[in-house]
Amino acid sequence: MNKTGVLIVVLSLVILLWGAVSIFPWVNGQSGVAIPPTAELEGNESSMEKLCGVKSDKWRVEREVDGVVVAESRRCLPDNPWEVAAVVKGTNNISMMALMNTRLASDAVIKQNDLDGDGDPDEIHIKLEVAELNGSSPDGDFFLPTYDIAPGIQPGLWVFAPKTRGMAAINLFSYEAIPELRAPSPVIRVERGDSVKITLENTHYLPHTIHLHGVDHPYINQQGRGNDGVPVTDEPPVMPGESKTYSLKPRQTGTMFYHCHVQTDKHLMMGLQGMFVVEENRPNNWLQTLNIGAGHVRHSSVAVNESYDHEYDLHYQNIDKELNEIIQSTNDPRLIAKKMNREYDITQASPDYFLLNGHSFPYTLRDSLIVADPNGRIKLRIVNGQSDIVAVHTHGHKATVTHNDGIKMPEATQLTRDVYDLAPAQRADLSLSTTDDGLHSYGPGVWLFHNHAEKGITTGGRGPGGDISMIVYRSFLQPDGMPKLQGADVSRFLDPRYYAGDVSVWGRSSEARSLGEPSLVRPNLVAIVALGLMIGLILGLVYWMHRARKRLVR
Amino acid sequence: MNLEKSSIVILMWLLSGIVFGEQEIERFSISPLQGESKVRMRHSMDVHGMVMNENKDVLPEGCDKISGDIDITVSAGRKFAEKFNGKTFAYDQQQWNMQPCSRVTVRFINDDPIRHQFMIHGLPRYLYPPSGMFHIELTGPGEKTATFILPAEQKTYLVHCELTQHMENGMKAQIKVGEGDGDLPSIPGLTAEVTPDRYPINWTWKPAVIFAISIILGLIVLRLIKSRLVATGLIRR
Repeated sequence: MNKTGVLIVVLSLVILLWGAVSIFPWVNGQSGVAIPPTAELEGNESSMEKLCGVKSDKWRVEREVDGVVVAESRRCLPDNPWEVAAVVKGTNNISMMALMNTRLASDAVIKQNDLDGDGDPDEIHIKLEVAELNGSSPDGDFFLPTYDIAPGIQPGLWVFAPKTRGMAAINLFSYEAIPELRAPSPVIRVERGDSVKITLENTHYLPHTIHLHGVDHPYINQQGRGNDGVPVTDEPPVMPGESKTYSLKPRQTGTMFYHCHVQTDKHLMMGLQGMFVVEENRPNNWLQTLNIGAGHVRHSSVAVNESYDHEYDLHYQNIDKELNEIIQSTNDPRLIAKKMNREYDITQASPDYFLLNGHSFPYTLRDSLIVADPNGRIKLRIVNGQSDIVAVHTHGHKATVTHNDGIKMPEATQLTRDVYDLAPAQRADLSLSTTDDGLHSYGPGVWLFHNHAEKGITTGGRGPGGDISMIVYRSFLQPDGMPKLQGADVSRFLDPRYYAGDVSVWGRSSEARSLGEPSLVRPNLVAIVALGLMIGLILGLVYWMHRARKRLVR
Repeated sequence: MNLEKSSIVILMWLLSGIVFGEQEIERFSISPLQGESKVRMRHSMDVHGMVMNENKDVLPEGCDKISGDIDITVSAGRKFAEKFNGKTFAYDQQQWNMQPCSRVTVRFINDDPIRHQFMIHGLPRYLYPPSGMFHIELTGPGEKTATFILPAEQKTYLVHCELTQHMENGMKAQIKVGEGDGDLPSIPGLTAEVTPDRYPINWTWKPAVIFAISIILGLIVLRLIKSRLVATGLIRR
């Protein structure tokens, strides 16, 4: 073969390659004149989960159980009134029929002995277990018991749980956790001067403690053992299968905090944290010792009832997926401890999920609405259990911060504002007035309240999610406890595909036609055939050249 | 009502005609609801714990009489898991073999100052309503004794503690009636896990050398095979 021949072959190869590249059907197709229409959303709306789905008012109405008045709670998922009554009277004093309507163990909250003779029991013994939610199993690829913080989102969690009985799943046919096993750990309420014992029954496979943050407690407990729950200064942590009783007689009131102090940067963030409230000592002050899942207090203290119409506990948490996935990746506690304590690094963490009372929007609408009446006063207690600052903003309202970290502020320094910022572990008590004066309230409506540190309103980076909830005036409330949203379509947020990022933000709404997802463009078959032919030609030419060279050599 | 003093038996009026059929999952082998429930769910509870569906005398279908009385003592606690690597809780035994139609009296002992359970699933739902469960629970250290009657069929029953992660961390056992119908997975020291953990491997120079030698051996074997085949004339050189 002469030089001209080689030149021709090489030249045609270059032309063919250029042609192949230019007609290569890239991932994104060009549309030309025919711009693709908006895709129809797959799936049937009617098969989707309902925003509430609970029609029965059985748990919502005001009810007297064994002489305990349990206030009305107009939320989709209110607290079980029998359970509220059981922790008000004590599981040792409540009737067996009422206790059977709960899942509490008979020794969950023991109340006895009116030491100061003012009509309420002053010896309180609370038992807490440690439950794992969305944990793994050696029996297959599933989590149990399951606890969804938002549609389709099941991060592994550890919580202090009230001592229950029976199964951890709602029934034999489901993996779903019973309502008592949930985030956050229950709010504990005791009276100033009560003789309180808190027994940690460590039902978990790792060591834990309880540290009473801000609650007056002696350094040494009644048995002469450490009482601060800090392994570094105190004593060894409570090992799996062991129990330990912390004792206290708080001399000061206020909204406080409790959490596990073993490997705190991991265990606290895994969910072992709860609100602790010391109420003023009043006659006949029967307290709701546990507020499971925080939120609405259905049996407030005498002192709170004197000044407020309603009381809500608001617990903010965040979750770093990388930490919480560890307990779902393996079963052996040694491997979990290694991954968590030696491989995971909180200084590299970026939180993915943001919870208000254990749920993210839209599930917050089911159990964390603040239901308001005009011309009323609502007490809000906020604890920041997150690793970052929270800046809670109330739409339509400016509330007054009455207490910081449980300490009452002098009247002159009580600030009325619309963003309440809390550093990690801080608490604030707010007085929310619903008087329509343009300052405290702009009037009845459905008013959002959310963390204004903008990450906080997302779920895995997708919004609206996170800790968004609403202040809803009664006239804007539907019978099932859902807010009247003036026709807005919130069903799209119940689709697990939404937070997985698989569907358009606009869902099936009226905006969907112009703002939804363009349907997929069909691949250009002519270009594919032409490309195939060209590649064939290139390969043929190369082979032919190779043969020709071989023959030449021979 | 004072719980300390007396154990109170509550009969729970449970529906005899609950339809679960559609929702059944493979988690526990649940026998189908055969006709009407013969009995209501039975539940006794006190401060020390509770017993569900004790049955001393109602015979399951297919049993003419009680074939025999079996007494077992089952201890639950952390110390029984010490012999199982990577497990936290366990019973003192992991398997029992029993004859069909036996009347079993379980003395359940809790050695830990936390809650433990002895829960059996898969019993006939008409006798152990609503879901075919016999259950003893202890709120702390102590013991409780209760009785149930095994059905006629050859079957393997799951025994476990249903506190979160207790079964997953070792508190799991099985009762084989007759020959049973197979083994359950993840029973400590007895059966393999379905999704076993992956453990780090101790890599040293030894396996590397063995690997290199294996490659050389493979080449030599290939050479030998080739020369054999050439010699027999099956292939040309």
